[in-house]
Amino acid sequence: MYMYLPIALASVNYLLVVGLGLVVGLLSGLFGVGGGFLMTPLLMMIGIPPTIAAATDANQIVAASASGTYAHWRLGNVDFKMGLFLLIGGFAGGAVGVQIIKLLRATGGADFLIKMTYVIMLGGVGTFMFFESLNALKKGKNGGGEAAAAESAKPAEQKKGLLSFLPMQTYFEKSGVTHSALVPIGLGAFVGILAAIMGVGGGFLMVPVMIYMLRMPMHVVVGTSLFQIMFTCMEVTFLQSYSNHTVDFLLALLLLVGSVFGAQVGTLLGKKLKGDQLKILLAILVLAVTVKIVLGLVMEPSMHLALKGGH
Amino acid sequence: MKTMKRIVVILLLLAGGVAGGVNAAAALTCRVSPDEIPITLGYHGTTLTISGESRAGDDLIVRISSANSEAHYKYIGKAGGVVWMKKGDISFKNVPGVYMLYTTRDLEHLLSTAEQKANLIGYEGLKEASEVIGEDEEITRDPKRWMDEFFKFKEKENLYTIQTGTVTRRHGQSSDSYEVQVAWPFQAATGEYTVEALAVRDGKIVERAGATFTVKRAGLVKKITDLAFNHAALYGIMAIVIAIVAGFAVGIIFKGGDGAH
Repeated sequence: MYMYLPIALASVNYLLVVGLGLVVGLLSGLFGVGGGFLMTPLLMMIGIPPTIAAATDANQIVAASASGTYAHWRLGNVDFKMGLFLLIGGFAGGAVGVQIIKLLRATGGADFLIKMTYVIMLGGVGTFMFFESLNALKKGKNGGGEAAAAESAKPAEQKKGLLSFLPMQTYFEKSGVTHSALVPIGLGAFVGILAAIMGVGGGFLMVPVMIYMLRMPMHVVVGTSLFQIMFTCMEVTFLQSYSNHTVDFLLALLLLVGSVFGAQVGTLLGKKLKGDQLKILLAILVLAVTVKIVLGLVMEPSMHLALKGGH
Repeated sequence: MKTMKRIVVILLLLAGGVAGGVNAAAALTCRVSPDEIPITLGYHGTTLTISGESRAGDDLIVRISSANSEAHYKYIGKAGGVVWMKKGDISFKNVPGVYMLYTTRDLEHLLSTAEQKANLIGYEGLKEASEVIGEDEEITRDPKRWMDEFFKFKEKENLYTIQTGTVTRRHGQSSDSYEVQVAWPFQAATGEYTVEALAVRDGKIVERAGATFTVKRAGLVKKITDLAFNHAALYGIMAIVIAIVAGFAVGIIFKGGDGAH
């Protein structure tokens, strides 16, 4: 029942770890999020050191997102062109974010900024998504369902205003939207900076950005987000393995056994739900994590010492 | 020159005589089994048996510890009077990574606090030998409080423990035999550990005996660790490739399940 993890220096019940992978993989396939904001704290709860938990999680997300990307690609839900532009921005933003964190750590106060960014971003995104999807669902109940769905999936030509004057206008066929290539690159960079500051993959930020700012249909959002996350986490896995030796391959293997199956189940489940139903479920999940973080901040911890690393 | 040689020989004989005398009087022995703990894939800690003989009637303290070092942590405090968070660095100088103490009776009944401090026995003894390092006023104001936090943290990690009344004795005609079963935690790092048996009589430590054991990685655990630290780039690439292959393989397995294009 137990397996010793050579890098984490911990012995864990492997069925429990596979189960964690399954649950987070399911959420990943369902919502297009990497699940890092859930998995890292869960791994820490079973005794994995914070730095190892965060780095190894990136490794398992590579598997879950590859599995999810493949499933969504087969369903025609991956906008590779959009994903590529977001990725370019995300890589650049990530590099800038890492430098910002270095600067903040040197001057002090980085941890406070990280926690506050977490609470504000998660809380803001969660609340907005929750009420937006609730309204859409209410409209659906009142007979305006089709109209609401059409509205949320409508190409953004008439909504984007000033952005249409930017150069490099590109039609994204899979998403049915036209944007300047600079828009996804810029938004990707913005999410990349925040993700690096918060130490997460950024899926839960990227998904709302794609829905509300790029006006992409929900199902394409999920597939494209997973595609982008896969590459981001490949980069993180390599860098963490090479520079910090913090990737525990055996732990990642146990997690990915669960998560790749979970991602497939999540994708199939997602097909049975409407876009707004998916959005409100993701909003509830994000808000629940926000509440957990807020409670962790205001309640006195039982231990007043912590290992270095992680958040 | 001859005189010098004579003096040296006499000194050696005297030293041998003294050592022999001590050995002849020594009743305390200490054995540890196993003396080597391999960390393999299924490792979840192990049970150590520490045993030996002691002079009849003596109480015993068995101490397991690793070499002293400096431990670095973040301390958690209130920021802005509202939120609890990691505030700064704190270090503990001259503390062992592992400290386990087993006794025949309550420590307070065996040794006075002064004696515990003098012999570095128990947490009072450890406090005496160690030092709290931190620049923030929160730390310098009450360093002893942070030592207690450190002990609490280490106990939660299963690396520090004080268990009284756990050393069992069997009384013989001329001497006693003793034994203690130790639940060795998987959290303990690789390296050499020292076991010391201390005989206590009338509130004083009267005799000491020791043994050592080692914890080392073996098999696949050793191979993976070597790869991760000595061939980090290869390890990283391998981790990525396996993750991608696993992800796509499962995707293909699920292919028949739906009506995708």
